Amino acid sequence: MSQAAKDRNYELYETIVVNVARIVFLAVFFMLWEYVAQNRIIDPLFIGVPSKIALFLWKGLFVEFTLIKDMLWTMWSTFLAFSIGSIAGIVTGLIFITWPAFERFSDPLFSALNALPRIALAPLFLLWFGLGIWSKVALGASLTYFIVLSSAVAGIRSTNTDHLTLSRTLGASQGQIFTKVTLPSAVPTIFSGLRLGLIYALLGVIGGEIIAAQRGLGQLLSFLAGSFQISGVFAVLFILAILGTGLIGAMNMVEKRLLRWQ
Amino acid sequence: MNATGQIAPASAGTTAAASPEAAAAAAGSPRDSVIIEGLNHRFGETVHAAADISLTFAPGEFVSIVGPSGCGKTTVLNLLAGLLSVQEGTVSIFGSPPRAGRHDVAYMLARDCLFPWLTAEQNAEFGAEVRHVDRNVRRQRSRDLLEAVGLKGFEKNYPKALSHGMRQRVALARTFCLESPLLLMDEPFGALDAQTKMQLEDVLLSLWMKERRNVVFITHDLAEAITLSDRVIVMSARPGRVIADIPIDLPRPRSVSALQKDPAYHKLYSQVWEKLEMGLQS
Repeated sequence: MSQAAKDRNYELYETIVVNVARIVFLAVFFMLWEYVAQNRIIDPLFIGVPSKIALFLWKGLFVEFTLIKDMLWTMWSTFLAFSIGSIAGIVTGLIFITWPAFERFSDPLFSALNALPRIALAPLFLLWFGLGIWSKVALGASLTYFIVLSSAVAGIRSTNTDHLTLSRTLGASQGQIFTKVTLPSAVPTIFSGLRLGLIYALLGVIGGEIIAAQRGLGQLLSFLAGSFQISGVFAVLFILAILGTGLIGAMNMVEKRLLRWQ
Repeated sequence: MNATGQIAPASAGTTAAASPEAAAAAAGSPRDSVIIEGLNHRFGETVHAAADISLTFAPGEFVSIVGPSGCGKTTVLNLLAGLLSVQEGTVSIFGSPPRAGRHDVAYMLARDCLFPWLTAEQNAEFGAEVRHVDRNVRRQRSRDLLEAVGLKGFEKNYPKALSHGMRQRVALARTFCLESPLLLMDEPFGALDAQTKMQLEDVLLSLWMKERRNVVFITHDLAEAITLSDRVIVMSARPGRVIADIPIDLPRPRSVSALQKDPAYHKLYSQVWEKLEMGLQS
């Protein structure tokens, strides 16, 4: 057998071992949890019971679809918050770059707004936009906006001066320089901002839903915790973890496609 | 872009390519040559980078400017490129003042300056693309040039997958892909190791021999200047003056490795070196 084939086999073997170890670890962890809860070593009021969590997930996802409905609602709010926040952030970034005087003028204002814990705006947003989806979108978007704004400005500023000199000697127009040089240079930095912005959009939406809402996973979480259905709370947390991972995974796929030159 | 939009710039490109022949016919006229007269350039109060420089470059001539670092040779090149504005004296390129972005001038930097998000092929045709050369024409030309610089088979590679020498080869292809009769090169091989440098000098010589454009080549490497040029201009330490203008009458085509053993080459080398030594002392 060749060395390369041996290496490949070893890699495959390693992957299998790692995955089996993970499954064993999780199985042991949940069995222990079940045992501790069932025998009331720790009160299940605090930690829930794995079998009940599974039952809750099963019912919510495949029988009554309540979890699915709330999940879609939260995802839609997050999507809106992310889109509005990031587009506004990139547009503001472009304005800052085009008119540096405006940036100098508005810098203290933006710094103060950015430093403000945005979740504190939730009561105001509820008053302005109501109990429905838009108060959550506003909260999520206000978080995404500043993250994407600063990454857009940093990204555009990071353009290599040699690239700009070369473009000048070639006789590139302002438009050509922007689309062919500045924008592609900014993409990696903007993307790291977008990735973070997406997580923060989800955070804002969930936070808003926990505070006051009629639908969504945050509202469900708050209701379940309020009525001491702790297994349900854990079930929602699992869904949120999976949702967050899924969003990041999708973002990574887009990034890999766009930045395959890196 | 629509088809009619592409035709006009493409034909403009061919006129530019045809001009060296026309230039050769009427050699010496200011419309075909690069003329620098009484040039002085200062940075701030104290730094006198270029002093009383007067030079004329004939069409199709390969001229190197050598001198100690900080002597103002790059300043002269940047003035020709229009990256700096002329303070004192006159600079005329084919009868008009220098301006960054004019299509009859191509500029090459010491760093390869490739765009990491473009493949070798896309980088090679970038300049032509900016100058609105027809898509098929520039694609064909960039492919031919990548082959000429020894990068056949690497067209689809991104710069991260290329070595330093290979990246500078792509930059050479990009420069020659432009149909400019005047090429300005600022120490293009300065950052390369000795072996790679010699390989690339051969590549540059072969590209230049095919088209015989006017090249102004800045370097601090005397051997490189003699190997490549028709004329070597020696500048003194700051304030940079022209202290020697030495014709290099070595026969062409030249081979970089063969020259290393050529006594005529070594004689010229010591002759230019003497001048350069004077420049260092002054």
